[in-house]
Amino acid sequence: MKQFTFDDQEPFLAKLRELLAAGRPAQRIEVATPFPVYEALHLLKTPVSPLKYFTFAGALTGFCAGFALTIYAGLSWPMIHGGKPVVSLPPFMIIAFELTILLGAVVSLLGFLLLARLPAPKGILTPVEADGKFAIFVEES
Amino acid sequence: MKSDSSTNAAYYEKVEADVFAAMQKPRVTYWLALLVSLSCFGIGLACWGWQIYSGMHVSGKNNPVGWYMYITDFVFWVGIAHSGTLISAILFLFRAKFRKAFNRSAEAMTVIAVMTAGLFPLIHLGRVWYFYWLMPYPNQRLLWVNFKSPLVWDVFAVSTYFTVSAVFFYVGLLPDLAIARRRITGIRQWAYRLLSLGWRGTAKQWSHYEKLYGFLAAFATPLVISVHSVVSWDFAMSVIPGWHTTIFAPYFVAGAIFSGCAMVITLVVPMRKILGIEEYITVDHFESLAKLLLFTSMIVGYAYILEYAMAFYGGNVFETAHFMFRMLGDFRKPYWLMCFCNVLLPLTLFVRKLRRSISYLFVLSFFVNVGMWLERFVIIVTSLAHDFDPYSWGNPNFSWIAIGITVGSFGMFFTFFLVFVKVLPVLSVTELKEERANETIHI
Repeated sequence: MKQFTFDDQEPFLAKLRELLAAGRPAQRIEVATPFPVYEALHLLKTPVSPLKYFTFAGALTGFCAGFALTIYAGLSWPMIHGGKPVVSLPPFMIIAFELTILLGAVVSLLGFLLLARLPAPKGILTPVEADGKFAIFVEES
Repeated sequence: MKSDSSTNAAYYEKVEADVFAAMQKPRVTYWLALLVSLSCFGIGLACWGWQIYSGMHVSGKNNPVGWYMYITDFVFWVGIAHSGTLISAILFLFRAKFRKAFNRSAEAMTVIAVMTAGLFPLIHLGRVWYFYWLMPYPNQRLLWVNFKSPLVWDVFAVSTYFTVSAVFFYVGLLPDLAIARRRITGIRQWAYRLLSLGWRGTAKQWSHYEKLYGFLAAFATPLVISVHSVVSWDFAMSVIPGWHTTIFAPYFVAGAIFSGCAMVITLVVPMRKILGIEEYITVDHFESLAKLLLFTSMIVGYAYILEYAMAFYGGNVFETAHFMFRMLGDFRKPYWLMCFCNVLLPLTLFVRKLRRSISYLFVLSFFVNVGMWLERFVIIVTSLAHDFDPYSWGNPNFSWIAIGITVGSFGMFFTFFLVFVKVLPVLSVTELKEERANETIHI
């Protein structure tokens, strides 16, 4: 594996363009940067993150769980509170809303960890290569 | 503009060095501040211990004033938490640049303030060892908690708020923790290695990270509005005069952001001085925050006036009598002090010179903190002390224990904040670097 490191994004991007122009396939190139460099993502044709599916699934689960919990709890012991119906959707909506956000956020975090392959034991136990630099790693063919 | 890479690289190194220098061995002023905060925290714990030992009569609560200083403190601290989310999430969605100076400390403030706030319903309970009865599970007779009660909504709202703001805080920190693992040596390095999860900053990681940050900001924005709305419904869902009103939710949310912005100023002014990071948190940044303070102060002032307009225009005799009592009754001093601190004094921020004076803002922020605490006190106590029936009117008892616990909550808040400034980077180094790179990029 070949490695190039730079202190700033301009020479880093120049080298990346050069490597791609020289015919290196984008799949064989990996970059690491101290902050997101959108042009690098674009040059390497990084696919759009599928994180939204995790977020949607979490949020939907939370929404349904909120209504399911409150309606089940009401029906399992039908007791009238303050003259309101046993199944009162407006107050239950608040529980459903909070759980939508809670599970949406937590499942997004878990989805991110899964997609970004974190925690990475290797990165924790040994020093990360070119840490904090703009780095290009090229897999030799 | 052509970028100057040597300058950029030098800037990246300088930002890292400056921010991480702030995490080195503390100075005497830091230890003094920590000592004062810890002492106050200790006083609070001792008072709470005494209350648990001797019973709730020491808290000053009575009948009719069953909600007193602890609920005031609860609402105050939840309110303080709000500007953290405002600055980190809402201003992120609006792409407001000045947030970068404050977002990390405001996010830390949010997490710490929610922790502090979360203690107060438990302190207020009396038999604190039964706190888990609040949790949504069926008791031995299979009866569940009442999901139609605003107090149960509160449990969901506050615990969700704590979890989501902690996640948001941690996610924002992740790339900076990776810098910490590189810059900090010794045994502490292992903590940062573990916390940074082996983050490398590859293209794929950044693409997922950016999505995650956006989603969390999008979740936090409606959440922050819902949380203080739910807190306001603790009051508004009742039928007590002064509480039963539809403007409570927006009024509380604006008040929360107002008090939170003031607390950010209170914390950041000494912090930037003690840590020597004045270069990154400038007068321009403070001026933007002062404008936000002025704006929310005017919303709060409008709500104060509107409450009276509704009471008098509505023609409800109990509402009218209650608002006369609030203005002229036993609690008129806190009421007028509250109006002075929250409505009149912030109007001085129309003067540009005052908006740009950091020492003036620091003093003003103290007044706003006091004013906003008094606002919650006035709302809670005056309504309970003076409801429909003159037979049941009555004032709460003065209590040193309640004051001690309130002081203790400030002690706890400042202690945790002081620990934060020494163990985590107080500015988002990654975002500062990114901002600089975007400014100098070759287009």
